[in-house]
Amino acid sequence: MRNFLAFIRRFQVLLFFALLQGVALTIYFTFSAFPRTQYLTTASNVSASLLSVRNDVTKHFGLSKSNEKLQDENIALREQLLENQLLIDSTTYLDTAIVRKGEYVQQYKYIPGTVINSTFHKRNNYFTINIGEEQGVERGMGVISDKGIVGVIHNTSAHFATVKSCLTKDINTDVMIESTGEPGILKWDGRDARRGNMTGVSNDTKIKKWSNIVTRGGAGIFPKGIPVGKVEKTEVIEGQPLWDITVKFSENFRSVQYVYVIKNVLLGEQKEIESTIPEDKPEE
Amino acid sequence: MNQLVKHGLRFIFFVLVQVLILNQMEIGLGTQLMIYPLFIALLPVDLGILATLIIAFILGLSIDAFSDTYGLHASSALVVAYLRPMVYKIFSPRDGYEQIEETNIHQMGFSWFLKSFGLLLFVHHLWFFMLEMFKINETLFVLQKTVLSAPMSFAVCILLQFLFLRTKRKDV
Repeated sequence: MRNFLAFIRRFQVLLFFALLQGVALTIYFTFSAFPRTQYLTTASNVSASLLSVRNDVTKHFGLSKSNEKLQDENIALREQLLENQLLIDSTTYLDTAIVRKGEYVQQYKYIPGTVINSTFHKRNNYFTINIGEEQGVERGMGVISDKGIVGVIHNTSAHFATVKSCLTKDINTDVMIESTGEPGILKWDGRDARRGNMTGVSNDTKIKKWSNIVTRGGAGIFPKGIPVGKVEKTEVIEGQPLWDITVKFSENFRSVQYVYVIKNVLLGEQKEIESTIPEDKPEE
Repeated sequence: MNQLVKHGLRFIFFVLVQVLILNQMEIGLGTQLMIYPLFIALLPVDLGILATLIIAFILGLSIDAFSDTYGLHASSALVVAYLRPMVYKIFSPRDGYEQIEETNIHQMGFSWFLKSFGLLLFVHHLWFFMLEMFKINETLFVLQKTVLSAPMSFAVCILLQFLFLRTKRKDV
């Protein structure tokens, strides 16, 4: 009888352990795919407030550097202004340079934000930014910095949002090689915060080292041509007609501070027209 | 000091240090410092395992909430809490734990602490990185992360105890 009771008691502990473990693992595996609430994430009010207090203290350490960054960005944008460019060929001027009012419609809008928390050494890395639903941030929007893409909005609360950065397992952004237009998908293997991989490029094309990799803009999350990185190394994958391309990110994710969330005004329209495509059987 | 207040304050301290300092550090090669297993290890030995499990679960979830790991730390903390009584039983000192106020490095000695807490910490890190990767073909990387991170976390844990705990050793 005593043995039996002892057995029950032991079993009870194991059962309780298994129950709590089950809860934890369920949260882990369901939330990292699709967070339904903002509790237990850095988008929640308590966590985000604490993290923004910390950011208020630490942001001053990098102030001069981030000022320089903003200044560089301003210079680059200023140089593109028409007033600063010399007209050399009147035909091209008429065709491309003049933005005729009424013929263009704004497709992408930018919402500025500040990173208040970030990680870069885990397998899946997230950023927390200080803008949320009230500023118009929604799940699935793209996030860029002055140097290149940063990630995609993962979860939002009223005043904060978490960003799934390029340093995650399944970021799978559509990218291409700028010069040839060769498309591929961006991945990260979890090893080096400065380098990622581009897969899906067939190896019958020649790829120049240090050629630029930019976004493809197909999914409507990022505009076309946002820098991602440069080709650092190409290797043949054994048994597959594909290149394994090592990408050196143009953004240093360790020091990202100021970001822009991209709102695609026409995304609804694009989704609508794409939903009329008849569905194929998924290949493979 | 009242045990409840002491461990309550300690809880907050561990969460804050982990979230605000250690999570922001990058040492390289996938190394990550995690010290909160020390909190679980320092809970009173006679605390029931069910209570330990609940405390560990809450501790893990609080850290998860600040680092976007969604239950990863909670799961790993539970493993520590579950294994703690077994490990402490295996490495039990000659007179048992009755004379001991707290299982810290000052009272238990370095060799006991290395064996028992070292084992707990290693299992914790291994579990954490295995779940984080969740891929069989990345086993080597998991091992690399564990082998590099666990000794560093251990060193930080020892440092913390020398900094914040009284060195008074009990005369037996």
